[in-house]
Amino acid sequence: MIIRKLCMRQSRQLLALSRRAPISSRFQSTLPETPVETLQTPIRDEISRSENPLFEMVQAQSEASTPAQQEFTSDEPPRSRFKKLGTSVKSSYDPEDVIRNPPKPSQISLEMLLAAGTHLGHSTSRWNPQNSRYIFGIREGVHIISLDVTAAHLRRAAKVVEEVAARGGLILFAGTRKGQKRAVVKAASLAKGYHIFERWIPGSLTNGEQILGHCETKVVNALDEELPNFKSDLADRPSLKPDLVICLNPLENVVLLHECGLNNVPTIGVIDTDADPTRVTYPIPSNDDSLRATCLIAGILGRAGEAGQLRRLKMAQEGRTSYTPITAQELRLDPFTGLAPGGEGQKK
Amino acid sequence: MGKINLTALRVRQTALNQFASGKTSKLPQWVGVVGEIPPAETLIRTRPPQHELVQQRLKTVAGSSKPQVVFQVQEKRRKPKKPSRLFQPVELKYEEDQLRTQFFCDHPWELARPRVLLESTGKDFEHYDWSRIQQPGKRLDGESVVQRQLWLLNNVPDMTKSTAYDIARREFYRLRLQEDIQRRVASEEAAAYGAEFGPSYMDIGMKMENEQYDKWVAWARETSLVQDQRKSALSGAPDLGDTTESSEIEAEEGEAVSL
Repeated sequence: MIIRKLCMRQSRQLLALSRRAPISSRFQSTLPETPVETLQTPIRDEISRSENPLFEMVQAQSEASTPAQQEFTSDEPPRSRFKKLGTSVKSSYDPEDVIRNPPKPSQISLEMLLAAGTHLGHSTSRWNPQNSRYIFGIREGVHIISLDVTAAHLRRAAKVVEEVAARGGLILFAGTRKGQKRAVVKAASLAKGYHIFERWIPGSLTNGEQILGHCETKVVNALDEELPNFKSDLADRPSLKPDLVICLNPLENVVLLHECGLNNVPTIGVIDTDADPTRVTYPIPSNDDSLRATCLIAGILGRAGEAGQLRRLKMAQEGRTSYTPITAQELRLDPFTGLAPGGEGQKK
Repeated sequence: MGKINLTALRVRQTALNQFASGKTSKLPQWVGVVGEIPPAETLIRTRPPQHELVQQRLKTVAGSSKPQVVFQVQEKRRKPKKPSRLFQPVELKYEEDQLRTQFFCDHPWELARPRVLLESTGKDFEHYDWSRIQQPGKRLDGESVVQRQLWLLNNVPDMTKSTAYDIARREFYRLRLQEDIQRRVASEEAAAYGAEFGPSYMDIGMKMENEQYDKWVAWARETSLVQDQRKSALSGAPDLGDTTESSEIEAEEGEAVSL
């Protein structure tokens, strides 16, 4: 219906053409009926040269200058004949692929890291000499990070993420640079963790009750099902602290890493040649300015977390845990003085 | 304070100490994990990899019919390294670097051509065979010449740099010519089948120039009119001299239009 109307609206211009309009029949789902034809012919006669100011221009454009052009405009079959020719491009690089479907830690290869550009460091003048272990050489005034070291550290970090996830730890992914948002959110959703893609509010760990006091907390059992009975017991609890923090840009998040140090939280960070490797527990020497590189690293760590979570849930279904669960009595106890009756429940 | 902060590296020790001293009532879940997978040593300096420029050549030996592979290592510097630079990374050098510099010195406009730098897998090199200059999935460019020249140097007996350069360059020029011809034929073919390419850049440029000329004509006509009026107002009556001036401008206009 709508398409028909469009044809009608366009037809005022199309009718002015001297040749037959090919579009009118192409847009219609059914063959044009005879009444349409009879309708069109009188209108065409009505429009005269003087009424249409663009008549001559249209006339000039529609006139084909060479016989080949005349054939091209008049005949359909030759064009359809050529449509079968040529090639179709099958697999080409898709930048979304690393976010939508990140690779697993077992798939890490040096070629993958090279293609992502993780080996490109900073200008030699900006280096932090503590990173000299990770640097392969100098090329065109830029430090080149050793790919095998990157792969080894990335595998180690992935293992840590997987183990922490398997023990039900809270994992926080932080990437506050422009464009890292989607990768961070995707990694956190894979690892069932938490994410920050905007500024880290200083004091979120050291002064958590003031900054995160209003945030919702819940008690879940080993199968991640919420236990609403314990809601009232959480009122006077301090805010939760992560068990592992993954930082994609440690240079901008010095405060976050400092607070993690104060609260004794292990950290994983992407360390470029100008960053300080002692700020994090598990450094991953890599280019942190390339979005492709950081997205790849975040994706791999997210996948590792996913594997850990799967393992944990599988064990929970069999009735086992790889961690010592908190008992209901412990949960009901006041943080400062002992109190409260028992019940069944576990907190991860 | 100039000292290294080891807090992040010692999280496990701190957690164990806090638990032992009774500051925390429970060990965190990650203590076991960090114990099993300890952080890598970061602060120990190691000698960085020393890169040497190695050249591979094939040389014919007088006695045998088979050519011999010879590896030439770049000479070591006579002056030893300063002790303070002992742990600094070393410059990466490859044989292609000189070849690349030479090629792009001789063909600077090759750098102006668009080039694909992106790799999807990082394994593109596996499909390349430099015994010929054309590669599947790679456009012919300066890098092809460099790689071809390197292959010739490495795999052809008694090859010199200039000969290899000439061979690779000749192949490159021939293929570039072929590309030009292909492009021309394709456009002719398309035109024969009724394609219209629209006005060329030259036509567009000429049109814009003509527009400017027309503008100038309009401006000149206006200013001459204004001048005429001003003069007539000053003198009180139109003079003979004014009419000649305006006619001159009109003559100029005619020339400009004809140009």
